[in-house]
Amino acid sequence: MKRLSNLWFVSIALVIATSTLGLSALAQEDITLNFTVWNYSLETIQDNIRIFEEQNPGIKVNLIDYAWPDYHDTIVLRFRSGTQTDIIYSGEDWLPEWASAGWLAPLEEIVPEVAQYKDKTASYAVNDMTFNGTLYGLSYYADLISFQFNANLLEENGIPVPQSWEDVRQAAESLQAAGIEKPFVYEYDQELPNFYSAFVAQVYGRGGQMFDGELNPVFNDPQSEAFKHLQWLQDMYADGLMALETHETKVVPAMNTGRHAFTVLFNYNLAALNNAATSALAGDFAMTPMPGDSHSTYGFAKFYAMTAEAAADPARREAAWKFIEFMGGGDYQVAKRWAIEKGLGFAQDPLFDDPDVQVAWSNWIDPADFKEQAQIAQNGTNTAFTGIWSAYFRPLLAKAIVGDASVQEVMDSGAEEWLSLRSQFLGY
Amino acid sequence: MVSQQQHRRYPIEWVLPVLFIVFLFTLFPVAHALWTSLHRVMVLLPGTPFVGLGNYRNVLASDYFLVALTNTVRFTLFSAPLTVLIGLGVAQVLLANFPGRMIVRSVVILPWALPGAITAFLWMWIFHPSWGILNLVLLKIGLIDSYIPWLTDPDLAKMIVIVAHTWTQYPFAAVLLMAALGGVDQQLYEAAKMDGASGWQRFRFITFPQIKAIIVILLVFNVLVGLTSYDVTYALTAGGPGDATILLSFNIWRESFSRLNFGNGSAVAFIVVLLSIGFLVAILRALPADIFGEK
Repeated sequence: MKRLSNLWFVSIALVIATSTLGLSALAQEDITLNFTVWNYSLETIQDNIRIFEEQNPGIKVNLIDYAWPDYHDTIVLRFRSGTQTDIIYSGEDWLPEWASAGWLAPLEEIVPEVAQYKDKTASYAVNDMTFNGTLYGLSYYADLISFQFNANLLEENGIPVPQSWEDVRQAAESLQAAGIEKPFVYEYDQELPNFYSAFVAQVYGRGGQMFDGELNPVFNDPQSEAFKHLQWLQDMYADGLMALETHETKVVPAMNTGRHAFTVLFNYNLAALNNAATSALAGDFAMTPMPGDSHSTYGFAKFYAMTAEAAADPARREAAWKFIEFMGGGDYQVAKRWAIEKGLGFAQDPLFDDPDVQVAWSNWIDPADFKEQAQIAQNGTNTAFTGIWSAYFRPLLAKAIVGDASVQEVMDSGAEEWLSLRSQFLGY
Repeated sequence: MVSQQQHRRYPIEWVLPVLFIVFLFTLFPVAHALWTSLHRVMVLLPGTPFVGLGNYRNVLASDYFLVALTNTVRFTLFSAPLTVLIGLGVAQVLLANFPGRMIVRSVVILPWALPGAITAFLWMWIFHPSWGILNLVLLKIGLIDSYIPWLTDPDLAKMIVIVAHTWTQYPFAAVLLMAALGGVDQQLYEAAKMDGASGWQRFRFITFPQIKAIIVILLVFNVLVGLTSYDVTYALTAGGPGDATILLSFNIWRESFSRLNFGNGSAVAFIVVLLSIGFLVAILRALPADIFGEK
């Protein structure tokens, strides 16, 4: 009986020891990071994750994707509900909001070596990833919003490349007279964050600004370039010169029908427009500096950011940093892949001179044109409340464009809301 | 025999688990939303001070409220009766005896089973201004000279979202009405026919009195669905162009998650609740007292 008891004791001890060892091995074995993205080119992201996991045994990355128009709101929902989120795609316009709320980790403070990448990154992109003087991430891509056109269509009709918005209007009228029903096609969806950014890009092109140095709105002044430009858009629509499409993925095929000559989009769409494998009119499209007096445009960076939740756990923090560095730093293989395969812009200086990138880009864009536009691009006005205000202002913009409200009404309402938010957030 | 005393044993204990679930998943969220609607709950601002009816005032005074309210009421007033009418028509057709009717019955229920986002996508293929099938067909048969901007013209978009929403809802109405119609005594129709009653008279004096209760229930149900509808409209137009198809239910989301103002978002939610109660009371008051068979 005693032998039996001893046997039981030894068996139980063995079971406990094995389980404990097993649990501890399990604990050391795998960390699963939740990585949330908007759903652009998921197969490329999955493949990058596969390569990372092969190089970093013990770290698994769980990819979670959302549609671009819903991305901001869904991320807020994840943060608010405490859903485990470790690394996210962030954007220049959301950084102040999410960092102020304490949802993002100040990467430079917790991983000081990230600062080494600042010198190798274009300054406008560094600005977009910085909040209160601290770098919050590494660049996924950095791009421009550019003016794109069907060069062949213009040439056939003897129309020069437009330099101003008045030129665009005249060219559109000429093309319409020649049978192109709606020469200008505009990406139009009030839920898209870039619906506002694209408007800002056009205002920058005219040499205008949305706000002055003290964050006072200037766009509601009828003499401002923003005011004039919204009026321009409203007139173009009212006069039947402009078609509306809800997303870039619909603008690209629409341009490929040959029924439109001009558009304003994220620059990487030019790669899709000139992709012979998917575009009927590949090779016909080009970009030119944004029309207007200054030809400036909106430049931005989207980046990988670590959440405060991940940073609070040393093991997750280390794993998350490894992943961020793999995706946005190191020898820039991932950024290079995006640039070559998808035409995504970049902010990493070494890539500008990379022969592989230059060869790939020369298939769809004149790199000199891109560089010229990038050099005069400007950041947006990003405050903790810009995202909130943009969500308010975008439907107003949409309303004005289709003539459902006057430009004055819309601009006044936008300015009033901006001032109200500024007062709540900044106290003046 | 089980004694009356035995029947009365432990009633609280038996009901408590269910009450706890109801409290946890219904009363607590509602109470929390009510609390939120009376406080300033902005994620980016510190503290949650009591603001009384301040959030309600903000919402009522906002640019979007009147437009969203008008759109919501219009959307509901068109879609609810339309759903019931189409459901009634479809139910009549499905009750007829024709070959393959079982297959047709299965297919007809499909729109109701589809998620709203997929429904919206299907309708987008039809109504898309540039590549929608409707424009192509109309152009090919020569009814139009140029594409109609179905989803980007404010007036047309208002109509399209009602069409798409009604399409998702009518199958449920049809199924319930089929059940009600199936219960009507066929002998009454035969007698009416012998008396020379027309089709309309048979419907008016035989069918309608016997299915009016279910019609009222469907009407009330569809009013509530209309007032809180979100998915199809959001996926189809996102409330646009501008605010042409913006609904109150959108603004619960938009205030809370786009503008990070949960106080305002909760206030909009309670306004929708009040509106729903108002509609219900109005419908029930407008009905004759014997609608459910009571004298």
